Amino acid sequence: MALTSSQTPPSKQATESAVSLEVAGQWRLMWWKFKRHRLAFVSLIVLIIFYLIAIFCEFVAPTTTSKFWRDYVYAPPQTIKFVHDGQFGLYVNGYKFERDPRTFEKTWTIDNETIIPIGLFVKGEPYKLWGLFRGDRHLFGPTEAGQPFFLWGSDKNGRDILSRSIYSSRISLTIGLVGVLFTLVLGILFGGLSGLLGGWVDTSVQRLVEILMSIPALPIYMAFGAMVPIDWPPTRIYFMTSLIISLLGWTWLARVVRSKFLSLREEDFVLAARLDGCGPMRLIFKHMLPSFYSHIIASLTLSIPSMILSETALSFIGLGLREPVVSWGVQLKDAQKITNLANYPWILFPALSIVIVVLAFNFLGDGLRDAADPYTL
Amino acid sequence: MSNLPLSTSAPRLTVPPPNTDEKTPLLELKNLEMRFPVKRGILSRVVGYTKAVNDVSFEVYQGETLGLVGESGCGKTTIGRCIVRAYTPTGGSILYRTEQGTQLDLATLEPNELRDIRTDIRMIFQDPYSSLNPRMTVYEIISEVLRVQGGHSEAKMKEAVQTMLNKVGLRPEYMHRYPHAFSGGERQRIVIARALITNPRLVVADESVAALDVSVRSQILNLMETLQRELQLTYLFISHDLSVIRHSCDRVVVMYVGRIVETAETDDLFKTPKHPYTEALLSAVPIDNPRQRNSKERIRLKGEVADPSNPPTGCFFHPRCQYATDICKTTTPPLETLATGHTVACHHAKELSLQGVTTH
Amino acid sequence: MHSVIDIKDLNVHFETRQGLVRAVNGVTFSIPAGKTVCLVGESGSGKSITARALLQIVPKPGKITSGEIVLHHDGKTTNITKLEPRGSEIRKIRGSEIAMIFQEPMTSLSPLYTVGNQISEAILLHNKVSKKEARDRAIELLKRVGIPRAEQRVDEYPFRLSGGMRQRVMIAMALSCNPKALIADEPTTALDVTTQSQILDLMRELQEERGMAILFITHDLGVVAEMADDVAVMYLGNTAEFGSVDDIFNNPKHPYTQALLSSIPKVGAERGDLVSIKGMVPSPYRRPSGCPFHTRCAEFIEGVCDTVEPAAISFSDDHVARCHLYNNAGQVANKEQGRHV
Repeated sequence: MALTSSQTPPSKQATESAVSLEVAGQWRLMWWKFKRHRLAFVSLIVLIIFYLIAIFCEFVAPTTTSKFWRDYVYAPPQTIKFVHDGQFGLYVNGYKFERDPRTFEKTWTIDNETIIPIGLFVKGEPYKLWGLFRGDRHLFGPTEAGQPFFLWGSDKNGRDILSRSIYSSRISLTIGLVGVLFTLVLGILFGGLSGLLGGWVDTSVQRLVEILMSIPALPIYMAFGAMVPIDWPPTRIYFMTSLIISLLGWTWLARVVRSKFLSLREEDFVLAARLDGCGPMRLIFKHMLPSFYSHIIASLTLSIPSMILSETALSFIGLGLREPVVSWGVQLKDAQKITNLANYPWILFPALSIVIVVLAFNFLGDGLRDAADPYTL
Repeated sequence: MSNLPLSTSAPRLTVPPPNTDEKTPLLELKNLEMRFPVKRGILSRVVGYTKAVNDVSFEVYQGETLGLVGESGCGKTTIGRCIVRAYTPTGGSILYRTEQGTQLDLATLEPNELRDIRTDIRMIFQDPYSSLNPRMTVYEIISEVLRVQGGHSEAKMKEAVQTMLNKVGLRPEYMHRYPHAFSGGERQRIVIARALITNPRLVVADESVAALDVSVRSQILNLMETLQRELQLTYLFISHDLSVIRHSCDRVVVMYVGRIVETAETDDLFKTPKHPYTEALLSAVPIDNPRQRNSKERIRLKGEVADPSNPPTGCFFHPRCQYATDICKTTTPPLETLATGHTVACHHAKELSLQGVTTH
Repeated sequence: MHSVIDIKDLNVHFETRQGLVRAVNGVTFSIPAGKTVCLVGESGSGKSITARALLQIVPKPGKITSGEIVLHHDGKTTNITKLEPRGSEIRKIRGSEIAMIFQEPMTSLSPLYTVGNQISEAILLHNKVSKKEARDRAIELLKRVGIPRAEQRVDEYPFRLSGGMRQRVMIAMALSCNPKALIADEPTTALDVTTQSQILDLMRELQEERGMAILFITHDLGVVAEMADDVAVMYLGNTAEFGSVDDIFNNPKHPYTQALLSSIPKVGAERGDLVSIKGMVPSPYRRPSGCPFHTRCAEFIEGVCDTVEPAAISFSDDHVARCHLYNNAGQVANKEQGRHV
């Protein structure tokens, strides 16, 4: 009796899209499922933009982190306007300087009469892109170099908060990634050994994990903060900070990896691979690990916000990065004084960046987690 | 390391080595035991053992299909896993006669010695959904064993996989697809292809059609039979479905709570069973002829299948057996030969005349 | 014998991302009191969805799009398809007029509550009795379904019971309010064969005692032969054939029914090759045109079977099949193609 395996073929168009579904590996399926999660998809775009800004921050920012205007301390934010006297053109209003008659305090207010035209690709403060390439073009800024241009206002030293925020993104966004890398390595290593080998290896790794998890983080950071020599260069402090954050932060991944291994060990297809003669290394890397790459990616994505927030918090209380390195936490230190915050609320703008980035990572992680298992509906 | 015979090569010789004059079995289980510890308490102390497989001995002859049948907890799946060394038996031996004629005890082989056996003894799994890695293509899944064993070029492996896919009735072009593209019956064909790619001598088929639709079962059973003839395979057919056993097997071993209760040739077993459990089992199978609905006396067993972690004394079946006497409560009946090829473990086997299945 | 449930032209559709799935496509049959109707089919046949439609528990995104399910109870008739799936009307019916037992006894009992608690809950929901009365009734029911030491067992949790025991508990729960109809969705598929025969015996006894109508869903033709009075054979959402169990087994008209009967291995048969049905059950997203079985049918008539869905043809009062072989168009085409019916 003939053994046929095909049914009456349907219309050609249906066949083609159906075929692509059939040869789609797990990554393609995941991508399709991910795209359906609108919020996550938008968040991905947002984060890509943020990271592009971070990579090219010297170019994107209207000015540099150190450029200051001695006269324009705590200047309020300017708004971009489009039409002036019937003419179309980008500009912001300048400042006029007022003295309060009773307190003799100097304040800056927006002067609707003065115009500071702004444009794209303008010449401005010179910089070194990535420390290597000289340049002085900025993505946008005042057409006349040297004019005050503070979309987010200026801080206590007369520096542009927006530009500093853009430079901060480089530090704050990459510290998350460095921490994630350490977590990935330590988590998979310990979790994998634990889950696969079992026995005393498993027991000792789990106890280690539990001890690390029960250590309160803040005292450790404070101790570290006290230990760090003042004369260390900022980059070294940066790496140490991320290292410390991840040394305590890898434990959850080890547990996740371990439990995944334990459950996968019992699957029929893993047994089939064992019966094919696979050794433990091949079993792990070829047969088991691919099943939860996606979960790991999703989980890691969800952990980046906490690393960003950790760094922000540490720098905010003075234990992490310090001047002259600029990060969002460092910028927000200024907002600790309530009088500053009350008088000059725009110094809180860097927090907006943090909120957007953290939300974006959370939504992205959600979407990735949903897409991580494309084999269920 | 000698080249493995792939499906594209000539079929194996089935003529036994010339210096034996009686049929020597391909596989012989001797007093096989597999027990699992029972842990209680906070510290998970071992308080006892469950004997999933309890002193089991039987033979499998080359070229036959031996059925292993029983209900849940009887140990048939565990035996299959012990034979392929997914578990390491805790007692007894599994004697396997290699092609060269040497006898190996699979139960005590070291892991590195096992590697060579892996191509000779293969397994067909029950669930075609969980036994295929969803993240590997069909080609990768089937060729994995060849890849691991080594010594085959990519081109040779591709050819072997294509030939195998043809043999199981799938289009070779499909080999770059992923399992989710296939239906249950097609997946089971992939599972079979994976098992047979190395031209094995013994195939353990663990409930190979239980998870399939009824109309697909017959296709797969026919396929397995055709391949057996073509590749000269020996099957150990594990199932709980008696009608499938009746159709597919030459001989049958009936198990209850880890012990063998009866072995016989299929027709003998079904027409003239000698153990009360076999009789009850056969009686419980629904007759698929509505006109015979109330025709025979249905044997109603009391109670449930015994718990292997706390089995009854003596003959495990005695609490449910309508013919049980005092000796059944105290002494485990030995497996005795009643007629050629028909063994039973029952104190009263010789006196009882039991009802089998009539042909309809 | 009056019928308890009349299903008329029921349609349940699923709107999915990949297209419309007609899970149940114009199903019509009745379940008489005191009789068992077996719903036979393979995966994708729509038998489970039909059962769930009777209680308005079709899983999303499924919806009953048309048809009627008429329940006759206490002299009233209620059209279940018109009831709100989450309304109080259907809740009054669930458990007390129509009860259901499921396939997996492991997962259909809650692990958090004792067995007695779960049975009492069903009783208390539909009857104004005290907790003690409900508990006494639960113990009675456990005894009736054959659970030994019911007074102790009533306070045990499901994980302590074996599969067969749990299924008996499910039956006890289902019977607790004396339903007019019992829907059993593959209740013995997950059980050992000796346990299965006990459960089937129990169900038959209870049916005789209480005159319940039973809708028994299964794919095991042996069980059908044992239990059924009438049989509906389903394929991809259609009823291919409906008739008494005798008609179906000894005089099947639809090619699918015939093929199914000859393709199953039988305990009593001599060994030999099985006749297998060629091809696979088509994916529900790619439903064949015309008669859904035509892609695998040995009697396929080109031009007829792949274009027009066959209407139901009656062979006797209650033997119906949907097949072109038996209508004019089919017979004419057959003659033209030089084949004998």
